[in-house]
Amino acid sequence: MAYVATKGGEKAIQESEKLYHQLKKPVTPEFVQEIMDTMPYLVDRVMGEGSLYAPELAALALAQSGGDLYEAVLLLRAYRSTQPRLAYAKPITVDDMLTLRRISAAFKDIPGGQVLGPSLDYSHRILDLNILDGIAASEDDEDTQVEAAEKPAATRYPLVADWLRQQGMIAAIDVPEEIDAADIPDVTRDPVMMPAPRAHRLQALARADTGGVLALGYASMRGYGFIHPTVNELRLAYADVQVKHPVTGEPFSAGRVRVSQAEVVTKGKSTYKIGFTATMGWNEVKLIAGATLDMEMSQADPHPALNEDFVLYHTEPIESSGFCIHFKLPHYVTFSSGMDNMRKVINVLYGAAAAGKDADDREVEAEESKTSEVVTKDTM
Amino acid sequence: MSLIELAQPNQGYSYAFLDAFAKRELRRRILKGIAIPGYQVPYASRELPIARGWGTGGLQVTLSLVGPDDTVKVIDQGADDSVNAANLRRFITRMSGAETTTDANQATIIQSRHRITEEILREGQTLVLQVPNPEPLRRVEPDMAKARILHADADYGQMWLVLYEQLVRFGRYIQGASYPVMVHERFVMAPSPIPRWDTPDLHQSAHLTLLSAGREKRLYAVPPYTNVYPLEFTDVPFEVEDQSEWACRTTGERNKFMNELPQDDGSSVFELSDTGYMEKLVNHQRGEDVTIGTTYYDSEGQFYHDGYLKPRRSRQESPDA
Repeated sequence: MAYVATKGGEKAIQESEKLYHQLKKPVTPEFVQEIMDTMPYLVDRVMGEGSLYAPELAALALAQSGGDLYEAVLLLRAYRSTQPRLAYAKPITVDDMLTLRRISAAFKDIPGGQVLGPSLDYSHRILDLNILDGIAASEDDEDTQVEAAEKPAATRYPLVADWLRQQGMIAAIDVPEEIDAADIPDVTRDPVMMPAPRAHRLQALARADTGGVLALGYASMRGYGFIHPTVNELRLAYADVQVKHPVTGEPFSAGRVRVSQAEVVTKGKSTYKIGFTATMGWNEVKLIAGATLDMEMSQADPHPALNEDFVLYHTEPIESSGFCIHFKLPHYVTFSSGMDNMRKVINVLYGAAAAGKDADDREVEAEESKTSEVVTKDTM
Repeated sequence: MSLIELAQPNQGYSYAFLDAFAKRELRRRILKGIAIPGYQVPYASRELPIARGWGTGGLQVTLSLVGPDDTVKVIDQGADDSVNAANLRRFITRMSGAETTTDANQATIIQSRHRITEEILREGQTLVLQVPNPEPLRRVEPDMAKARILHADADYGQMWLVLYEQLVRFGRYIQGASYPVMVHERFVMAPSPIPRWDTPDLHQSAHLTLLSAGREKRLYAVPPYTNVYPLEFTDVPFEVEDQSEWACRTTGERNKFMNELPQDDGSSVFELSDTGYMEKLVNHQRGEDVTIGTTYYDSEGQFYHDGYLKPRRSRQESPDA
C-alpha cells in the first residue's frame, strides 16, 4: 500500500537512502579535495547559501548529496546550526579587502582604475572537447599561463560610491566610529519581523538562493520594477577574518575568506539611490540581482513581488526547497476533508443524480442552466 | 592559549540535538505562547537535519521539551508507521533516548501532522502539531506585517466575508482541513491542517496543545481548558466531515475519522485513520488485555462536550432539498 501505512516504514526509508548512495560512487577524502580544487565557484555558492564559510565541509556536502545543491545547502545549514559561537569577527570595510576584481559600468574609468581580474565574461562559451580526448593544454603552455602585468595592481581601491557621495549624487551615510559585532542583529538567531532591520535584510540576501534572487531580480530588470540597475561597482576580494584574542584582546587573523559585493545605482528624485548586496564567496549573478532587489525593497510602493516580505521569504533556499518537496508527503487526511465538501457541493449545485456523471458534462450543464443564479437565490 | 583550547571538546551534538541557547529561546517562546492563547510568537527557528516543511517546527518544540523519562508518539495523517513519522521518531529517540509508543494513552508527548488522536488526551500530556502555515489570514492578507496588524486590532472582518461568500456560492462552508478557529475569544488561529473532525477536540481540552511552524518561524499554543470555537455564523453551524455511513474494514468501528481507500471496481472501503487506536481495537478483539481510552466521539458520533457541535442541518433545511 504505497509508501505509508505499511509496517516496516522505518526499514524502507533506510534502504531507500542506501539505494540513493549506491547509485553513485562512494565519497573519498580525495574526491572532496578535488571538488574544492576544481570547482571553487560551486563551493562558493553552497557556502554562501549555507551561510557557513567552510570550503572543505561545503565540498563534502556536495559529494555526500551527489551534487544535489539544495541537499548540500541543507547539510551545511544543519551542521552550522549546531556550532557554538566562539567569537565575533571585526566587521570589514573595503579598506580591509584584498581586491582582485572591481569593475564599474557607470564610468569609463574610476579612481584606482577598472580591474578585470578573474572572469569568464568575455570568454567564448565553447565546450573544450579536446579534454575528453585527453588532449589538454599543458600547464606551462603560454595559452594557459597568465602573463604578469608590468606593474602589479594595487590591492586596495576606494569605493566608487564615495566619489558619488563627494559629488552629492547619493546621500551621505553615518559611519559609526566603532561597531561591536556582537550588537549586529543576526538573522540566524533572531526571529525575522517585517519590516526587517537592515542587517537582517542584507544577511538574508547574502544567504539567499541564487536562483531565487535571480528570478525576482530579473523580473524587476525586465520591467516589473521601476529600476534600471547600473552597476556602480562590483568587487571580488579576499578578506582576513579578524578576531580578538580571548586573553590578550589583540586582534589577529583567523583565516582568509573569499567575499564579494556589488553596488547598483538608479535615479531617484533628486539624487541617485543605491542598492547593495554582499556575500561570502564569489557569486556575481547573485550580487547584481540582490543589489537590484535591495533597491526595489526600499522603494515606497514596490511591485508586490518585489517588496521585502515577498523577496526575503521566497528566496530562502532551504525553506522554499523544503516546502516544495514536502508535497511528496502524504496529504490524504487534508484531501479527504476537502472531498467531503466537494461531494456536498456537487449535491447542492447539481443534485444527487449528478454525482456519478462525468465532471466535464456537469460543467457544461451548469453553464447552460446558469446554476449560479439558482444557488444564490436558494441560499439567501 | 588559543581559541581551540578554550572551546569545549567536541562532543558531537547536544542532548536532544538543539544547543542550550536554542532550547532556552524555544522554551521562553512557548511560555509566551501559553500566556497569550492563539497568538503567533515569532522565533528564530534553527535548521535541523530534516528538510524544512517536513515537521521541523514541531520537532524543535518536541526537542526542547523531551527528556529521558518521556514517552513519545509521532504520527503523520494519523499513522504511526508513515515514513516521515518513522523518520522523526527515529531522530527524536536517537537524540534524546526517550521511549516511544503508538498508544496515545501511554505518551507524554505526541507530535502529530494533521491529526489529533481519537482517544481523549488527558492533563499533563502535550500535543505538538506540525504547522505548514501558521497564518489564518494568509488568504486574505498574504503580507505578514499587515496580517499582524489585523490580529492586533482583532480585525477579522475579511475572514467572515470569506465564509459568507462560501455560503453564497456553494451553500455551505467549503473550508476543508485547517478550519479557522477563535481562541479564547481573542485570536483567530490556524489549527494546522487537522480535519474538521478534530477541530472541536481543541476546545476546553485537558491537555496542552503546542503548534509550531519551523519554516514560517512562528509558534503558538492552546493551553488546557481554553475556549476554541470554529468561525461560524449563528444560523449556519460548522459541520465536521460526514462519515456516518462509513465503517472500518478492519475493526467495524463507526463514527471515527476514516481513510477512504479507492478500489479497482470504482467503490471505496474505509479504515480508521488513527492507527494507534486501530491497533488497540484489533488487539482487544483478539482478546488481549488492552486499555482503550474514552474517545472524543462516542460510537453514535456524539461529541463529548454536549452541545458544542450544533445539530447537522436536516435535508429539509438544506438548500439541496
